[in-house]
Amino acid sequence: MTFENTMVGQAAPPAHLAVRGIQKRFGGVHALRGVDFEVARGEVMALVGDNGAGKSTLMKVLAGAHLADDGEFLLDGKPVEMSTPNDATELGIQIVYQDLALCENLDVSANLSLGAEPVKPGWSFLPHLLRPLDDLEMEVKAKKAIDKLEVRTLQSVRAKVGGLSGGQRQAIAIARAVGTESSVVMLDEPTAALGVAQTRQVLEVVKRLRETNHAVVYISHNMRDIFEVSDRITVLRHGSNVATYTTSDTNPDEIVVAMTRGLDTENGNAA
Amino acid sequence: MQPEAKMTFLDRFSAMRETQFGAFVPVLLALAAIWGYFGLVLPLIDLMSGEADSFRAIFLSPRNIYNLFMQSAVIATLAVGITIVLLLGDIDLSAAATAGVCAALLGVLVLSGVPGWLACIIVIFVGIVMGAAQGLLIAYVGIPSFVVTLAGLLGYQGLMQKILPTGNLNVGDPFVRGIARVLIPDLWGIVLGLAVVGMFAYANLRKQSRRKTLGLEQDSPLALWSQVIAFAAIVVAVVFTLNAYRSLPLLLVLLVAITALLGWITTSTPYGRSLFAVGGNPESARRVGMKVKRLRVSAFAIVGFMAAIGGIFGASRYGSVSYTAFAGGSLLLEAIGAAVIGGTSLFGGRGSVWNAILGALVIGSLGNGLDLTGASAADKLMVSGAILLLAVAIDALSRPGNGSGR
Ligand SMILES: Nc1ncnc2c1ncn2[C@@H]1O[C@H](COP(=O)(O)OP(=O)(O)O)[C@@H](O)[C@H]1O
Ligand SMILES: [Mg+2]
Repeated sequence: MTFENTMVGQAAPPAHLAVRGIQKRFGGVHALRGVDFEVARGEVMALVGDNGAGKSTLMKVLAGAHLADDGEFLLDGKPVEMSTPNDATELGIQIVYQDLALCENLDVSANLSLGAEPVKPGWSFLPHLLRPLDDLEMEVKAKKAIDKLEVRTLQSVRAKVGGLSGGQRQAIAIARAVGTESSVVMLDEPTAALGVAQTRQVLEVVKRLRETNHAVVYISHNMRDIFEVSDRITVLRHGSNVATYTTSDTNPDEIVVAMTRGLDTENGNAA
Repeated sequence: MQPEAKMTFLDRFSAMRETQFGAFVPVLLALAAIWGYFGLVLPLIDLMSGEADSFRAIFLSPRNIYNLFMQSAVIATLAVGITIVLLLGDIDLSAAATAGVCAALLGVLVLSGVPGWLACIIVIFVGIVMGAAQGLLIAYVGIPSFVVTLAGLLGYQGLMQKILPTGNLNVGDPFVRGIARVLIPDLWGIVLGLAVVGMFAYANLRKQSRRKTLGLEQDSPLALWSQVIAFAAIVVAVVFTLNAYRSLPLLLVLLVAITALLGWITTSTPYGRSLFAVGGNPESARRVGMKVKRLRVSAFAIVGFMAAIGGIFGASRYGSVSYTAFAGGSLLLEAIGAAVIGGTSLFGGRGSVWNAILGALVIGSLGNGLDLTGASAADKLMVSGAILLLAVAIDALSRPGNGSGR
């Protein structure tokens, strides 16, 4: 398959999460046309492509937010079911959505625990949904996660997200994904709203995730960032794979060409 | 410069409304203004213009306050239920008609010899089913709640007329009447009030001390104690005022207890948190794995439950069930108005059931006060409309992002 053919450089590490032949349609839009994708533990896989190439859609499929029309999911080589966000969470997959997916009417600590709120112990006669929230525990968790990311401008974890700046929101969305027990972390254009200093922090977070043996997927349009943090680069175009490169064996120009024109023009451009 | 100063005021206003108790301030101010006007200003004007020969604070007399609370109770019950779906960003136009069907069914059941308590359980169940049925259509078929509940309003109005062909039925069952008639003995009322205040203070202080041990930021002691003292003052004033006329009615105790339960569920459980999350951003709620559809159905079931309770309360208080008192009258608009005047957002994600009770008091006080001054029904409608408009305007203006002209 294309995957093997286009593999450049040394043999790929064994995949932790892999998908094969992912199809996704939105009405008339064929957003993903049989995409293959994989990421190994202790590696940063960059995912690049023009706007509309299908990067975010692929991430949402991997996070269970969209149900794929077709395709296989493999975790450590074993087929797994991925049809709801809960499936992804249980498999240890966390995501920072491009649109952040925060609730502006809730405070920072509530957003960081959203969907996984801690409850006080000892109310087991009640269904989980009706047990008392441990909101102080939530604040403690939030403070830890925020401190790790060094969001110094954030004054209180009890501030409503609606009143925060774009950078602060982005940091909170990242903290939410990173603060949860996980083996795969996917970041969809996480530095889009950030300044230079904050972008550095995100890149440091990404490197730390790799050091702690996470499988990291990193989407960005910034070639310098990608070549700084990634180990491999998967290029998508019009909802299909173009190729997967080993970062140390390629250069930004080659990636940009693959993104914009695909591989068939490569011959004409061969340097 | 003028608009700039205004904007910072608005910003500050929205910021205040975001805090836990700041959300009560606008509705409490509105209530204070109405009570001050009808209770103090109007009698003073009468006195000075010589129309009255002594200062008569009829509006603020314990007797009138008692009636005011009882008059507002049915509106408040429905408003509390409607608040739950407003939090989701939905609306329920059928609540009053549901209450009407439940009340009519209650009347027919007790008339045919079903014991009062059993009839109450049956209509509560029926109310829940009526609400949940609409919730199913909204969540799983994807019809907007406005449309489904508008159809529900019409359909349930018709159903009520089917159950009550004469449009009127007396309810004499002692159990049902008892809910509004039974009074808590004065002393017990005071004990109950003090116990509630004690629990409130204990919970707040305990939270504060846990914050300290966990190394979290603390609420300022001033804010903490003023909260406790304000709460205590309100509870004690209400209990003593009601005792001064009759006593604490069971109906109000039940209403406060149910509201406290729903208040706790909405603010302090994962279920309640997901209501707010869906109201704030349904897509993120879905993406973190919340069962948004089931949540919608359950929220409409809660409205159905509260509507049934409202129907029982109404039947108990009036001793009769009539078409105009529920389905065909102004109850629905008053209940939605109460929720919104209380400060619950029509846009979802912000509000509280306690605010609905205060909002119902605002509506009830307006009606009661205008009645006392001999205003016409037309005046009442127009004033209520203006107040509702004001409340919605405040809601729209204090939406995040609106102050900066987005
Ligand atoms: N929810 C959706 N409904 C309809 N079309 C969508 C939806 N999400 C994405 N698409 C379409 O799928 C294609 C891929 O989009 P996306 O994955 O967001 O691209 P990228 O993230 O690479 O910029 C685009 O043509 C987009 O319009
Ligand atoms: Mg995208």
